[in-house]
Amino acid sequence: MTNVTPEDVQALIELFDAGNWDELHITLDDFQLHLNKDPAARRVWNGGERAVVDTPAASVATPAPVAAPAVSATADATRSADYQIPDGMSVLKAPNLGTFYRSPKPGAAPYVEIGQKVDADTDVCLIEVMKLFTPVKAGVAGTIREILVSDAELVEFDRPLFVIEPDA
Amino acid sequence: MPIKRLLIANRGEIAVRIVRAAKAKGIETVLAVSAADRDSMAATEADRAVVIGPAAARDSYLNGDMLIHAALSTGCDAVHPGYGFLSERAAFAEKCENAGLNFVGPKAETIRLVGDKLAARALARSAGVPMVSGSEKVDTVDDALRIADEIGFPVITKASAGGGGRGMVVARSPEELRSSFDAASHEAKEAFGDGTLYLERFVERARHVEVQVVGDGEGIIVHFAERDCSLQRRYQKMVEEAPAAILSPALRNRVSQAAIDLLSPISYRNAGTVEFLYDEETEQFFFMEVNARIQVEHPVSEQICGIDLIQRQLDVASGEASELAQDDIIPAGHSIEVRIIAENPLDNFRPSPGRITNWSAPSGTGIRVDTAMTSGVMVPPYYDSMIAKLIVTGRDRDDAVARLRDALDSFVIEGIATNIDLLRFISRHPDFIENRIDTRWAERVLLPEFLSDKGAP
Repeated sequence: MTNVTPEDVQALIELFDAGNWDELHITLDDFQLHLNKDPAARRVWNGGERAVVDTPAASVATPAPVAAPAVSATADATRSADYQIPDGMSVLKAPNLGTFYRSPKPGAAPYVEIGQKVDADTDVCLIEVMKLFTPVKAGVAGTIREILVSDAELVEFDRPLFVIEPDA
Repeated sequence: MPIKRLLIANRGEIAVRIVRAAKAKGIETVLAVSAADRDSMAATEADRAVVIGPAAARDSYLNGDMLIHAALSTGCDAVHPGYGFLSERAAFAEKCENAGLNFVGPKAETIRLVGDKLAARALARSAGVPMVSGSEKVDTVDDALRIADEIGFPVITKASAGGGGRGMVVARSPEELRSSFDAASHEAKEAFGDGTLYLERFVERARHVEVQVVGDGEGIIVHFAERDCSLQRRYQKMVEEAPAAILSPALRNRVSQAAIDLLSPISYRNAGTVEFLYDEETEQFFFMEVNARIQVEHPVSEQICGIDLIQRQLDVASGEASELAQDDIIPAGHSIEVRIIAENPLDNFRPSPGRITNWSAPSGTGIRVDTAMTSGVMVPPYYDSMIAKLIVTGRDRDDAVARLRDALDSFVIEGIATNIDLLRFISRHPDFIENRIDTRWAERVLLPEFLSDKGAP
């Protein structure tokens, strides 16, 4: 693999911090570096063997396999077996087949947004089966890091819906 | 209206069978599967598979709303329920139709009607076919005499609350029934805490004969000859044949006509089976029930009639049933189906789910295997344990039996226990070869002999 030293990363972060970019992604072989100045940015990886350098402005690097794309029509992306749960993250999956809704009713604000804090019993979406709308709870207390399904999409059983970073 | 895209609400071999029949007709297929079946053969062959819920049937294959939601969300215009699961739930058929989905089966009202014993009785009476059992529970001698008079002697009393011979008394006349009824009721009460009995026609040596029909829903009903499914264990069919070789041509006509007479008044739609108990001694048929679905054993009728019943089901549902004409259906030859089951006959037929390490099914002239299995496949523990149907066809029964023997001998399944050894034993048994069996033969003759042959206790 490309030899990226901690000093290299440190230098990149300092450059990023000093500059006016909001976001930086670097991929070199299996080395990935994501830097973002928004504290609510998606964290896909948290910990592991490789070095993570955290700065007030930046989050996270990951050599882990990249998560499934947020929206995909292929059956494979919907399969929990193929979905790699990022380390330290909790994935909320569809309890059954149905239509996924982010809001309690059309036009209303979504239950949750990326970066939002949730409790275990916070409703995060609705799953509809033949006009029967069932709220789905977060299941863990933490922060919503990813929303993997778009509004009004048909989801199958076990389809990953949300990535939640549990509170420490 | 022609079907464009079909949701298949079933699993296993019948799901594979429906996928292929639909493809042959140019119909797209969407298979609704449980999480346990996402890699099944049918899921691979269907144009699309959607996972509707976890493995447990009540959360997947038995969840009608979810299946209908899946059908609508994937753009299907029809639903095929297969057999078992929701195939005979009138409410499901109704919900499909209310949702604008074409239900490939009988009308909801028909499913409801034939599932109701009193209504089914009325149908049988109007067709002039005697019933095998009284519908009502019997509390008093007077009730018993009235019902026995209706179904005809001899009758047998059975305990409502349980089986095992308690409360079972055969009565050959009103006098016998009068004298034995109270004792039978008392015995049932002692054994089960409930003295309620019901009555059935008693047939010493009974055959199970059933007639395959397809109706267009507007009054035309044709039959695809009859099947003999007498080889059963605890009312579970093990071997099914077509035609019923014990019947004379006149009797075959009679039973087929009875089935049509029974279903014509309700303009039966799609595939169905009318089941009869046949008394070989008196040459009488007694109506048992109507199965408002395609059945497991439909292939033997297909083999002798040279048709594809699932495709016919799709034709009828598409409104293309104009081809239904009795004169075009000319049965020929003899076909036998055996059910290959993941169970151990030497261990009280305990189901044996697990991974199939080696699978080699026979093939060749007159051999057909309907299955969703192959080497490396897992037989899940959640569902029915039937893993294949071996169907052999020959020019006559002897020819078919010989072919069955050879086919079974070359069938290899490793990794799990199966009933193949028992089926091989049947295929060599003189009673089977000479067609001298009845509905209780398996328990009375076959199993004791098989267990002793295998040195089992």
